[in-house]
Amino acid sequence: MQFLKPTENSKMLSVSLCLLLSVLLFFSFPPTVWAFCGFFVAQADASLFNKASQVIIARDGDRTILTMANDYQGDVKDFALVVPVPTVLKKEQVKVGNPKIIAKLDAFSAPRLVEYFDEDPCAPVYERALPPGPAGMAPPQPLRSRANLGVTIEEKFTVGEYDILILSAKESEGLETWLIQNGYKIPAGASRLLQPYIRQNMKFFVAKVNLKEFAKTGSQLLRPLMMAYRSPRFMLPIRLGMINAQGEQDLLVYILTPSGRAEVTNYRMVKLPTDQEIPTFVKQEFGNFYKALFATAHERAGRRVAFLEYAWDVNSCDPCSTEPPTYEELKEAGVFWLDDRPRPAPRLFSKPANVFITRIHVRYTRDTFPEDLMFKETSDQSVFQGRYVIRHPFTGKITCEAGRKYQRSLARRLEKEAQTLARLTNWDIQEIRRKIPPIATAPEEPNFWRNIWR
Amino acid sequence: MFSSSFHQQDARNYQILFLVVFLALGIGTRDWEIQPLKVIVVFVACMLTQWVLRAESLKSAVITALGLTLLLRSNSYPTLALAGVGAIASKFLFQDHGKHWFNPANFGIVIALATGTAWVSPGQWGEEVLYALVFLGLGGLVLGKVGRWDTTVAFLLAYAGLEAGRNFFLGWEWDVLAHRLLSGSLLLFALFMITDPRSIPNARQGRILWAIALALLTFILRNWFFLSDAPFYALFIVSLFTPLCDRLWRAPRFQWWQRKPPSLLGNLSIS
Repeated sequence: MQFLKPTENSKMLSVSLCLLLSVLLFFSFPPTVWAFCGFFVAQADASLFNKASQVIIARDGDRTILTMANDYQGDVKDFALVVPVPTVLKKEQVKVGNPKIIAKLDAFSAPRLVEYFDEDPCAPVYERALPPGPAGMAPPQPLRSRANLGVTIEEKFTVGEYDILILSAKESEGLETWLIQNGYKIPAGASRLLQPYIRQNMKFFVAKVNLKEFAKTGSQLLRPLMMAYRSPRFMLPIRLGMINAQGEQDLLVYILTPSGRAEVTNYRMVKLPTDQEIPTFVKQEFGNFYKALFATAHERAGRRVAFLEYAWDVNSCDPCSTEPPTYEELKEAGVFWLDDRPRPAPRLFSKPANVFITRIHVRYTRDTFPEDLMFKETSDQSVFQGRYVIRHPFTGKITCEAGRKYQRSLARRLEKEAQTLARLTNWDIQEIRRKIPPIATAPEEPNFWRNIWR
Repeated sequence: MFSSSFHQQDARNYQILFLVVFLALGIGTRDWEIQPLKVIVVFVACMLTQWVLRAESLKSAVITALGLTLLLRSNSYPTLALAGVGAIASKFLFQDHGKHWFNPANFGIVIALATGTAWVSPGQWGEEVLYALVFLGLGGLVLGKVGRWDTTVAFLLAYAGLEAGRNFFLGWEWDVLAHRLLSGSLLLFALFMITDPRSIPNARQGRILWAIALALLTFILRNWFFLSDAPFYALFIVSLFTPLCDRLWRAPRFQWWQRKPPSLLGNLSIS
């Protein structure tokens, strides 16, 4: 084997390549996450986003438990839900969940604000700590499967306050007609969206509220629906939800998996900007800050990406916005493999193992996300969180040269924080500067010539 | 179309240049986080294996290492090293008349995936026209040079045809098809991975059939078995049939330096 002697050109090319590669290697470090020792003060949870749907997917191999939060606001008797599912579900595979568990996972994984206090630059190290901050069914009608519509009722049961049907259909117009005839209020044009699912041999999970059962619950709110099934499809149908959507919709998906972070496979998934130092006044308006930050990041990414908001082992958090979910809470969230694997220590001392949570935030429209979301689990256990930092300047009396130096550096730091905030949120920089509380700064160091030329 | 000096250049130089450009694009514009130490592990594994097994030009090992760096993600250094060593070693372990069956980077990826400690991110490029054009442009340059564009064209046409048929059958709007076909990862695969003249059939007829089989298998694994890494598994399986294709359709083996004796061997593409 031999190669021809490279020409001068190719030598130069090789040298340039080596240089380029070296430059790449040494400037591509991911941002270093510095020690998490701040105090958690606030969080930006799902309640910020008006139309946010929330879904928990607990998945191990091809076994899945899907929990859909129900944020339906209208009259419960008008409520109807149609979800494509990969298999026929029996009664034992469907359950109503506890709404608190969704709120718990939301709070646990929400982007968070942490605060630090600058030390007295003139004194031995001491710390001041702040305590952690705040963190219907229409009248029952006979359900008839009319052969000419091609719709078959595979299963029919009531779970909690829901009357549920599992339908299979031969063609979409038949299904649409069937649903309308049976009193389901579905938007016009639904058949076009139903057809691809029928052709993929998927079934339809159709739920209405059973008013009698709902009255028994004594609650004003509909509880989440959970379904368990086996399927190689690791996906979330979002196309049906777009049918009558006005504008963009927010979706928060909490994926619980045994080995590591999950990711979206058919769209780009990026991490939110994180670990940014921002002005202290944001503490009072952290919710608005986060909304603006998300909107800005979404626009900058061309509105076609999914954002990773959180990825962490559920056993820990740092800083914690709330206590990690307990063994029982994880079970309520659908984590079914907790007892499959031996836990290393007695339960009293060990928290549930082998559960990794990934929080993905998607803001979508029909045009920017034409396909349903597909996911995969990875073995990536590296942690990520949306974390924003405020640092309170030291306001005590300055008695030393180091202190005066600190004060002089402070103005620069505050300006940098203001610029960071403007960049992240697209807020007006002048407005931000006005909101930053004035601080005592040391006079500039006198020019040396003043000593002799005064 | 190309100047003669371009033709006389070893296409692998351009290959390396373009892969480095893609790496730069990924890190600079697609928010990739590539840790230098991992890149070093992959490079050292590839280069050392190449050197130990056959001390010759390290260009093909560089291409393999770049390919692995672009595609494979893992937090385990042993897995990355295994991918690098396995990729290069496959060239020596699985060969037929001096030609290896597997695309080395693809082999490395598949064995790394089999450990369960590595993954690939099919969505890492997104689905944007701009990136598709960049890949098509640069890929076209290299393919023009090595004359293996027929494989890419056959693969893309067959795959697009199958996806279009499915799209039509399911009744999806056409932007779903566009979204699927504009996937940067798919285009990179088609332009830079399955065009390695050292691991694909020599004869054009064989190559075209081979590429169509690859498209069909990718389509099946993706849409029936829901494997997001379908192209890599499909290529792995179809590669097993490369020696057979070469027996059925005879043609001179690819040489890097077209005007030189047929003793020149190496790799192209993400190999």
